[in-house]
Amino acid sequence: MEYAIELKGITKSFGPVAANKNINLSLQKGEILALLGENGSGKTTLMNMLSGIYMPDSGSIFIDGKKVSINSPEDSGKLGIGMVHQHFKLVERFTALENIRIGMRDAGRFMHGADVRKKIEDTAAKFGFDIDLDKIVANMAVSEKQTLEILKVLCYGAKIIILDEPTAVLTVQEIDRLFDVLRKMKEEGHSIIIITHKLNEVMAISDRVAVLRHGEYIDTVVTKETNEKALTELMVGRKIELNIDRPVMEKTHPLLEIRDLTVKNDEGAVAVDHINFYIRGGEMLGVAGIAGSGQKELCEAIAGLRKIEDGQMIHEGESIVGMSPKKILEHGISMSFIPEDRLGMGLAPSLSITDNMILKNYNESKGIFVDRKSAREEAQKVIDRLEVVTPSTETPVRRLSGGNVQKVLLGREIKSGPNVLITAYPVRGLDINSSYTIYNILNEQKKKGVGILFVGEDLDVMLALCDKIMVICHGKLQGVVNSNHTTKEEIGLMMTGTINIVNKEGKTDGIAKDSAFTDEEVKA
Amino acid sequence: MLEVITLFLFNIIVYNIPLLYGTTGEIMIEKSGSLNLGVEGTMAIGAVAGYLVGIKADSLLVAVLVSFIASGLVGLLFSFLTVTLQANQNVTGLTITTFGVAFYYFIGNALANSEGGWPRLNDTKLAAQSQAFAIPGLSKIPFIGEALFSHGILVYLGVIIAVLMWLYFNKTVPGLKLRAIGENPAAADSLGVNVTFYKYAHIIAGSGIMGIGGLYMGLNMGGTFEGSNCWINGYGWISIALVIFANWSPAKALLGTLVFGFFNTLRVQNAALAYAFPNALGWLTKIPSHFFSALPFIITLIVLIASSLSSKKKSGEPQAIGRNYYREDR
Amino acid sequence: MKKYHLVRRADAKLSRTLIFYAVGILVSLTIGAIILSVLGINPFDYYGKMFTIGLVGNRYGYKSIEGLLKIFVPLLITSLALSLSFKMRFWNIGGEGEFLIGAITASIIAFNSSGMPNFVTVLLMCLAAMISSGIIGIAIAALKVRFNTNETLMTLMINYIMLYVIRYIGETKADWNFFLREDSERPKFGTFPDSAVMAGIPMGQFKLLWSVIIALLLTVIVYVYLKYTKQGYEISVVGDSSATAKYAGMSVGKIVLRTMFISSAMIGLAAALTVSASGTISDTVTNNVGWTGIIVAWLSKLSVPAVFVTSILISILQYGCQAAATQYPAIDSNYADLLQGLILFSVLVADFAANFKIVKKEEAKNA
Repeated sequence: MEYAIELKGITKSFGPVAANKNINLSLQKGEILALLGENGSGKTTLMNMLSGIYMPDSGSIFIDGKKVSINSPEDSGKLGIGMVHQHFKLVERFTALENIRIGMRDAGRFMHGADVRKKIEDTAAKFGFDIDLDKIVANMAVSEKQTLEILKVLCYGAKIIILDEPTAVLTVQEIDRLFDVLRKMKEEGHSIIIITHKLNEVMAISDRVAVLRHGEYIDTVVTKETNEKALTELMVGRKIELNIDRPVMEKTHPLLEIRDLTVKNDEGAVAVDHINFYIRGGEMLGVAGIAGSGQKELCEAIAGLRKIEDGQMIHEGESIVGMSPKKILEHGISMSFIPEDRLGMGLAPSLSITDNMILKNYNESKGIFVDRKSAREEAQKVIDRLEVVTPSTETPVRRLSGGNVQKVLLGREIKSGPNVLITAYPVRGLDINSSYTIYNILNEQKKKGVGILFVGEDLDVMLALCDKIMVICHGKLQGVVNSNHTTKEEIGLMMTGTINIVNKEGKTDGIAKDSAFTDEEVKA
Repeated sequence: MLEVITLFLFNIIVYNIPLLYGTTGEIMIEKSGSLNLGVEGTMAIGAVAGYLVGIKADSLLVAVLVSFIASGLVGLLFSFLTVTLQANQNVTGLTITTFGVAFYYFIGNALANSEGGWPRLNDTKLAAQSQAFAIPGLSKIPFIGEALFSHGILVYLGVIIAVLMWLYFNKTVPGLKLRAIGENPAAADSLGVNVTFYKYAHIIAGSGIMGIGGLYMGLNMGGTFEGSNCWINGYGWISIALVIFANWSPAKALLGTLVFGFFNTLRVQNAALAYAFPNALGWLTKIPSHFFSALPFIITLIVLIASSLSSKKKSGEPQAIGRNYYREDR
Repeated sequence: MKKYHLVRRADAKLSRTLIFYAVGILVSLTIGAIILSVLGINPFDYYGKMFTIGLVGNRYGYKSIEGLLKIFVPLLITSLALSLSFKMRFWNIGGEGEFLIGAITASIIAFNSSGMPNFVTVLLMCLAAMISSGIIGIAIAALKVRFNTNETLMTLMINYIMLYVIRYIGETKADWNFFLREDSERPKFGTFPDSAVMAGIPMGQFKLLWSVIIALLLTVIVYVYLKYTKQGYEISVVGDSSATAKYAGMSVGKIVLRTMFISSAMIGLAAALTVSASGTISDTVTNNVGWTGIIVAWLSKLSVPAVFVTSILISILQYGCQAAATQYPAIDSNYADLLQGLILFSVLVADFAANFKIVKKEEAKNA
């Protein structure tokens, strides 16, 4: 059998974290291979090594049976590999034609020879693309931009095409059209790798499915010989028993209630779609979902950092809609979000631990001066209690290691004594020991009667740590399940949008029986 | 009376061509996403180097090449500091201006105080080569022919550079790649464009073009060209303003040079115009010349504010301007 | 395959940074020395003259100190003011323009102050200059905050517009123009009445002007302001990450407006002190502090104590050049600017060398 791509023993680490461990993967000529795996399972890292953005630490890559080394995006292009990134790489103010032209090799130094346009138009026609080459990218809808990205790699003569979550931004009809194009490309002899989380799509489009889990290669199966349930099991794996405590507390009334919340993302698309849920005191509610399902927008909306389009949010009976971040904070809702770069929101990286401690309450002390003395004491307390490794309280946060940065952030959030704590990806990029420290901190808060919203990535952890888990898919609520009465597979199927249990059992629609909402408020 | 107008048109061109060089040079640099505030200093160094070596070699070609190379080296310094070492562009550019202008005065003074004194242009081959000549035929067009088509060769070179640069940006692939870098360096990088090479090459070329503009002042603008009498005075800064007025287009830079040049010439010649047309233009003498001097900056300030009020899409301002690109940030 | 790779050093040792800076300054002085040698001047003699600013063997040495302080005071205050806005990542390069506005407003009061008490006049001059410069600062900040207008280019334009305003005032003879001397045929700026001239504490022949004391006090105030007050804290957070500042509930727009007002007002104050100390105004009254201040602020990495030290050094450089020019007529004050430029270039390189190291990167060991 001739393979378009063969990866043998690929390993790639970022610092102490191994993103890919000894991966073997093959892509047959003229097939569509779906690459399946949870967040952080290493799919994008693996594909970035094919597109020349990263280089593997060890292992080898074979293209058409020949061993190659890919050092740059240019090398990758010359080998006939084209990647459609999840975040488009387009120049917004250029036309479609100009965007394609930038990367076109062997077409001369002058711009629009009629032959260049014709070549692009021919390619577009061949694959059934409907695209206006003279349209400015900034004026394009998301699906048009994606079409352009695909057309781009086809025009560069790519025979192997990698699509990183291409359906995440598309509507159902657009997905159908995309799949038609992919089938057409397959007929023309292209080999395709598609990264997706949605099992129905995997079943619909792929010939084979390769599964990664926690950076390791699990298996490749023929799509016709498998089903969604079997794939989910491969993807999430057997349930791993983690030794994480889950203290059971006396639950109080709902502290935070969210009704019909709709929020848009920065691009203006609906990111959170009419979500209902509530958190009681002494309860930890997990939020599970594929990356980019609206977690960030949800957190920002509750913290007052993002305008909401529709819906209501009440905290202990009082609406917090339209309140400033500061007011919400004073109300007792504290939010910490660890973004992918881990320093983006919540901390000022060049400032010391002491200065970061008082970020949210520097204004509470009297007079015009910042009260650094008590801030230093607070910092020292956090350092002692959470075992932050740092030379001193005056060390800039940027110089701390990832785990210690997260401890500082969480330490500060807890210190203000919130009664609702929203924490997103608090263990992102941390080793096991640091992660356990964080879980313990959260549990301590729970014991104090704090309601916690835990936005996480690892299902095993959430099952062990959270009392209930709310699952969202593309901003829509798929249901709330009790950790004691659910399985990883069920959550996996909900995350991928395969099943939705809202309204099926009456209890899981995210509305508390003893809601503080009055009937009028609900109607309004 | 007609002569007054012809002379007016003629002067608009003669005394403002350095703006065209400065502006086109700066446009080339800004299109690569870098804001170089060192125009004034870069022009000064090109002027002094090109003039002195040019007189020594007694050749216009040598003078032009030397000013291009000398200013290109300044561009190399700017690229090295901002592209490779990621230094702040504003501070680096301003320092180039401080340094370049000081260098100009310093050399000028030192030479003026030395034995031979500052080398004069009179009766050199260089002077002859850079002198105005009438383009046969075209210069005979009544009324405008003499004003437009009897200039030194560097005037035409400036216009040719502007036209070629427009073609380069809009009709060639390297030009397209350059603009892509100024808009979104990460996207260009992902398509295999060598961002570092493009930035270096265009910052150096743009700086070199500015240098020729400096040289022009020494050769074609009359008067002395000595340490205490710096022609550069302000032309570099007006060029930076003109880039905004021209909306980052070399073609519009031609037009902009004429507009800013018009006010500049009005400043010098308002009395002559008022004298020639006492009824229609007599009021011109009432306007202080300082107003005309400040006008380019006032207009630019208004353009700057107005364009930020309206939608950004039509502005030619490169979106990534002023920010250094570091691949690992993505 | 081996590849060289730049890596930011994890630790920032002050001693290493200082050593690199010292090497950088030494290199630029050496280049300066080479230039001097080419012109046939002994660089050691020249540097000797320059760095002693004409104090050695001079009966009127106190005059040198007074001259040095006249350069030092405006430079120090302007550099401090610019550091404030740069700390917020607001590129206020309009120091020249803001200085001129302050100088003109202060002079309006000064020329009309005959008979008023000295203290009141100078105080009024300072206040008027601070308010007028501050308003321009606020206007620019408002455009930036509201419409994201490019503040670098805006402030640049203001510099040149103001330059022509003061030239207009200085070169236009008219009934309304009280700035000019009445007894001169050619337009010429007049001198202030005694009521508007900065007083001082006599110390023998030397007179310590109040402006120097004000500048020193201001340095302490700015240091305390940035380091210990809530507003100073807000500036550092906004400058470090405006997303974090918003997250913490700070009103970023208000902080930018306030800081730009303070920054511009301080430059206005520097202008008022300068015109009052010299007893007149001119179109070169700024002595380029708006530009030099940027270099000083950057060389000092926006730290107040470093701004203080750097301002002294740059003042010595500038005044020393003037002082040495009496003996070396071929070398004028432009030599100081030349050295200043060289020093900044080499310090930029030194700064990079102190913060990054080159490591060999082992690439994929293909199995």
